[in-house]
Amino acid sequence: MTSFRADYGGLIDRSRELKFSFDGKPYQGFAGDTLASALLANGVRVVGRSFKYHRPRGVWSAWVDEPNAIMAVTLNGRELPNCLATTTMLEDGMQVRSVNAWPSAAFDLKGGLDIFHRWLCAGFYYKTFIWPNWHMFEPAIRKMAGLGSVSTDVIDDYVSDQIHEHCDVLVVGAGAAGLVAARTAAEAGHKVVLADDHHAPGGSLYQVDRVEGRAPQDWIDEQVTALQAAGGRLLCSSTAFGVYDHGLVGLIECGHFATAPRLWRLRCARVVLATGALDRPMTFADNDKPGVMSLFGAAELLARYGVVPGREIALISNHSLFKNAVQQLESAGAKVRVLEASTTALQARGRKVLSGVSVDGQHYQADALLVSAGLTPLVHLWCHAGGKLQWCEQRQTFLPGAPPAQMTAIGAANGTFDLAAALDEARAAGSGQSASRSDAAVQFTPHWPAPNSTGRQWIDFQHDVTLKDIELAARENYVSVEHLKRYTTLGMAADQGKTSNMAGLAAMATIQGVDIPHVGTTAFRPPFVPVPLEAYHGHHTKSHYHPVKRLVLEPQHRAANAALCEYGGWLRPGWYGSGERDAIIQVEAKMARDSAGILDASPLGKIEVMGPDAEDFVNFVYYNSVGNLKPGHIRYGFMLSESGFVFDDGVISRVDQHKFVISCSSSHVDSVRNHLESWRQDGNDPARIFVHDMTQQWATVTVTGPKAREILASLDLGIDLAADAFPHMTFREADYQASSVRVARVSFTGDTSFEVSIRASRAPLLWNTLLAAAAPLGGGPIGIEALSILRTEKGYIMVGKDMDGETMPHDLGFGGPREKKNTAFVGDRSLHGAMANERDRKTLVGLTVADGAPPLPIGAHAISETSSPRSIGYVTSSYQSPNLGRPVALGLIENGHDRIGESIHIRHREQFRSATIAPVCAFDPQGARLNA
Amino acid sequence: MQIFSCPFCGPRDEREFHYVAEAGKTRPDTTQSISDAEWATYLYAQRNEKGAVREVWMHMTCAELFLMERDSVTMEVLRTQGLREGDQ
Amino acid sequence: MRDDRHRWPATADFNAPIDLGSATLTPVPLTRQTLVSGPDVRAQINQALIGWPDIVENDSYAIACRRDRIMRINGPDAREGWDAANNQAISDASDAYAVFDLTGTDAMDLLKRGAEISLQSPSKSVARILFGLGVFLYRVGDKVFRLHVARCDADALVGLLKSAGKSGRSD
Repeated sequence: MTSFRADYGGLIDRSRELKFSFDGKPYQGFAGDTLASALLANGVRVVGRSFKYHRPRGVWSAWVDEPNAIMAVTLNGRELPNCLATTTMLEDGMQVRSVNAWPSAAFDLKGGLDIFHRWLCAGFYYKTFIWPNWHMFEPAIRKMAGLGSVSTDVIDDYVSDQIHEHCDVLVVGAGAAGLVAARTAAEAGHKVVLADDHHAPGGSLYQVDRVEGRAPQDWIDEQVTALQAAGGRLLCSSTAFGVYDHGLVGLIECGHFATAPRLWRLRCARVVLATGALDRPMTFADNDKPGVMSLFGAAELLARYGVVPGREIALISNHSLFKNAVQQLESAGAKVRVLEASTTALQARGRKVLSGVSVDGQHYQADALLVSAGLTPLVHLWCHAGGKLQWCEQRQTFLPGAPPAQMTAIGAANGTFDLAAALDEARAAGSGQSASRSDAAVQFTPHWPAPNSTGRQWIDFQHDVTLKDIELAARENYVSVEHLKRYTTLGMAADQGKTSNMAGLAAMATIQGVDIPHVGTTAFRPPFVPVPLEAYHGHHTKSHYHPVKRLVLEPQHRAANAALCEYGGWLRPGWYGSGERDAIIQVEAKMARDSAGILDASPLGKIEVMGPDAEDFVNFVYYNSVGNLKPGHIRYGFMLSESGFVFDDGVISRVDQHKFVISCSSSHVDSVRNHLESWRQDGNDPARIFVHDMTQQWATVTVTGPKAREILASLDLGIDLAADAFPHMTFREADYQASSVRVARVSFTGDTSFEVSIRASRAPLLWNTLLAAAAPLGGGPIGIEALSILRTEKGYIMVGKDMDGETMPHDLGFGGPREKKNTAFVGDRSLHGAMANERDRKTLVGLTVADGAPPLPIGAHAISETSSPRSIGYVTSSYQSPNLGRPVALGLIENGHDRIGESIHIRHREQFRSATIAPVCAFDPQGARLNA
Repeated sequence: MQIFSCPFCGPRDEREFHYVAEAGKTRPDTTQSISDAEWATYLYAQRNEKGAVREVWMHMTCAELFLMERDSVTMEVLRTQGLREGDQ
Repeated sequence: MRDDRHRWPATADFNAPIDLGSATLTPVPLTRQTLVSGPDVRAQINQALIGWPDIVENDSYAIACRRDRIMRINGPDAREGWDAANNQAISDASDAYAVFDLTGTDAMDLLKRGAEISLQSPSKSVARILFGLGVFLYRVGDKVFRLHVARCDADALVGLLKSAGKSGRSD
């Protein structure tokens, strides 16, 4: 075995060797190792290069607070960037690369950048790359800065599971305090979840010899067994990363490498934080030298992984909690020298890695320097939940202060570093009592960065922020913590300042001559550790991200070789055939005028409004009057918002005195239904009006064109289809093959049209029968694209396309009700405001182009002929019309209704065109075909 | 993610709900003459209070419109009530 | 518009049990689904009125959808429209919803992936949002859950359940 691995101890399985490589060199570790512990055991000291100066960096800690050991890892062809080596469990065959280093961490070509450090201070980029323009320099700088790079390969089955669960008590952290609190709560009959981010519970207990007289592993097993026997649940490898509203805690549960973590949305009646505390770095010259490590990180590496950080260890701390660690390290065969020092007189020595340390001019040889400048309780979740912090002079740290609702902190997270006292707190918290914090048994000597001292002293290792940067920020008046953070990028790296924030705040406090609590902390926000975005979207990805609505006739459309496109959330036939798209659409649009087109119009809304007040209600929500609409008749109309803007258009069918069917736009059904429900319940008597959205119950097939009547006759419905017996804007109810059908004479094409609605399960029969009848007459199915051409030829608008968010009905040529309707309706007063009366409102007009010119681009702007041209409107619909043999277009143009015949300039990107304003209807303006 | 209590269905998570409006507005009788200012106030004036607020929400799954009193700072739900239950 | 015919798998014809990995989804042919609304409809109904987590015991029952709306399942063939005598609005919804039974020991676990739901949290109505889609969800057995979903969303719901079913158990 290598000399950095103890012969015994730890949670690793020495019988299972795992092979891996780092920067191309092969190594071995054991099952249970992290990448970091395996590298340290192999004597690897330089594990990466720093963010900005490419300084060699070593492992600092044993867990989530690690700022340096970030790696790109590949296993079985799956690569993840920026893996934290201290939390990534080693797996056989991992290929590991250091980041921000080339060709390797040990020898990095950009390592020379460090000699320019004098010029690379905070704000360097802002100050330097301002002329001619930052964006010229940005790509190169972005490339140079940063950590790993993202692989372009997509990991196929990287889909996060998400689960919602609830519990009475969530205990975060399965160290000594957490285990006892969870067990106590479970034994009191509560539904308990105990979550810990390690894959084995126990926290830092493996560092000690005995817990309540037992070996740590035995004691831990006993607690877990008792917890589970009482119905409690232990979630390992699960990080509580955020606390959200109403007791919701987000946890990610990690599995094997490169598998997506599971998200737990855990609703907790009460939360006990037993999250422990982190070791703080000391700030002294060259304190980032590989070999300088966290005291408790090193103790943890030994306890969990049997890794000895060095053979000749120097140790400096501002408290007396190191004694146990010294004993364990010495038992493992290391020499340990405990030094006393102030930061100003301390310097790490060594070229690339640590070889010794100077204290007050005295030089000591050392291959590891373990430091602890105090303990910082992990209060992130406390603060997410709205808890306050209070400064503790005795412990030299922020402790949980005024608690958020239903949350308690215990143990080291509460500043209780003494084990026996922590267990007392845990028992109290577990049984729902509030415990008062005991006095600290340990004294912490203030030990903070000392400004104006010599040497380069690192505050934020991950973002390469030094004490000098903090001093510079203070000189330039970036003294508020939030400004300091953004100016120097202190605490803004992936570790979110877990090791650096306290030192940064303390430095600023010293520089300004104020207390640390006076400087304050930056806000703690979720997530506590980086969480892959996959965890947030879960199963809602790829085709499940925004699933389209499916037609009951889709199999028929697919059989007919339809191109299926998304229209307003529905997957609908755009055209039929797999040939040249535009040519097919022209053929379909021509066929519909020459013979007949059959269209699947099923997504059209079918919202039934029923009840004694149905008439008044429909009259109120519609711009158009419906009071005089007779049963069996249909009216076209607009729904407006209270601001008077067109919200939807559609037709209203009156079935009888107390029942209307509102046929709203296909893409608008849900919003129209909610609009109706809102007005029904708030402003009307909901006991006298009922709204049933029956869109899904019915399928609708539209037959349009000169042969429509002949085709419809094939259904043999027993309806007199003659134009005068069954006029435009009426409907009939009939039976077809034992199913009731509703046949409506409405038209979105300008030709004689029949909309036939039938219960969805019978739609295939109806569709097939109509197609069979159409074929010998030269008719056939048409898609939405052809319909759009027919619609535009007639000047029929499509809501959301031929209007914008400010279009009022009179802009579309429907001014009648605005002048005449004398009952209240939604949006009425807004139609008479100053804005509604403006002369230059954009109004809907037709646009024609010169003979032989191609169609105008949709979205092209009409430009004023003034010295400084401006947009006076734009093209909303534009197609080549196969029926007119020329392009047709609609547009919203300022004061367009009064400018028919005028020529206007149209601009699209660098293309300039001219067009003539025309009436909206270009095809059959007398409507002879419509009423035929 | 918040928990709101629909007066009919009971507690559900916020993804089932939609904000409708601040409570307490009454639509002016538009068959009478209404000044521009009065109408604009109805359309656009919002109290946007900090602290306790009274709002109308919709529970999307059952379409119930209801009154909710909540704290816009702490997100605490103080009370929910059917639109036609008790005082308004 | 872009031709997406190959991007979306053909809509499935739901007539056989679907293996979800950790549970099974079986299409349920119902004779009739009738939407009935009215100010007193909950009191007027003579069938068992099901909320969450009630268990259906008969072939014919009604599910509570809203304060003033129920859906009768396998009820009588009623005339559609406004029934002035009973103050009820009636619509046949037999083809509006696809209906499935979710079975298997992990069925509840699977539902918890799509909604914050538990048997300990009762509700007067069976209307919920599951995986972002509106459904009616109730029990027809101790561990048998019945789902009604709008016909157009059935493929989406089945797809999401399949995806979530692959995740296996959470304990």
